[in-house]
Amino acid sequence: MSRLHPPALRLSIANDLAEIGRIAPVIEEFCAEHGLGEEVAHAVNLSLDELLTNTISYGFEDGGQHAIDIALEAAGDRATVTIRDDAVAFDPTEAGDPDLDLDLDDRPIGGLGIHIVRAMMDEVRYARIDGHNQLTLTKLIAR
Amino acid sequence: MEIHKETIEGTMVLTPVGRVDSNSAREVEDALLPLFDAGQPVLVDFGQLNYISSAGLRVLLLAARRSKATGLPLSLAGMSKPVDEVFKISGFAKLFQIHADRAEALAAQGKA
Repeated sequence: MSRLHPPALRLSIANDLAEIGRIAPVIEEFCAEHGLGEEVAHAVNLSLDELLTNTISYGFEDGGQHAIDIALEAAGDRATVTIRDDAVAFDPTEAGDPDLDLDLDDRPIGGLGIHIVRAMMDEVRYARIDGHNQLTLTKLIAR
Repeated sequence: MEIHKETIEGTMVLTPVGRVDSNSAREVEDALLPLFDAGQPVLVDFGQLNYISSAGLRVLLLAARRSKATGLPLSLAGMSKPVDEVFKISGFAKLFQIHADRAEALAAQGKA
């Protein structure tokens, strides 16, 4: 059976950390409804959490309100997440890898978020388009 | 978020419920770090936690350093699959004493 339009979820959130917990159950519900599985739901929610936290905490220098657009699409064997915002340009694919072998005292207190996204997702792509950051995350679905 | 605190057999037990994300990690930090001022071992029971992000890992790293500085043992127990996955991805599993459940963690501390 083919579909003209694959199932998609579109969300617009404000630059407020409380929004991350608000959209989590919405994403879980979409994943359950379309048979994507709990692992995909967790990967999507965790990746969104890490990336949105960075953007909301450090991306807006004017202190004003901004909208961040999120889409989750399920087509064939993959789930695709896109995040679009007008925050300062930031390409997470260029961030360095943390050293996971350091012991307790030498571990930096931050810097794990992007590593987690790369580990949870199969592909992370970045583009700067018309003054907006656009991230595309792909997760293969084990059906 | 909901965080339970109790003392069992001389160990301070902290049980966060639900999810620790960048928004709620501060609440865990405020509940967990002062426990090391009480002079007793600390156990974080993850049995009712189904989600943790790097913001939560940061708090646990701070707690591990506090544990080392005070000489008070810190152990973790009852990790769900998603929490365990994040620990492994981040190389955190080797930084902590991790037990299957609360009973096993308390028994291990009793022997220490």
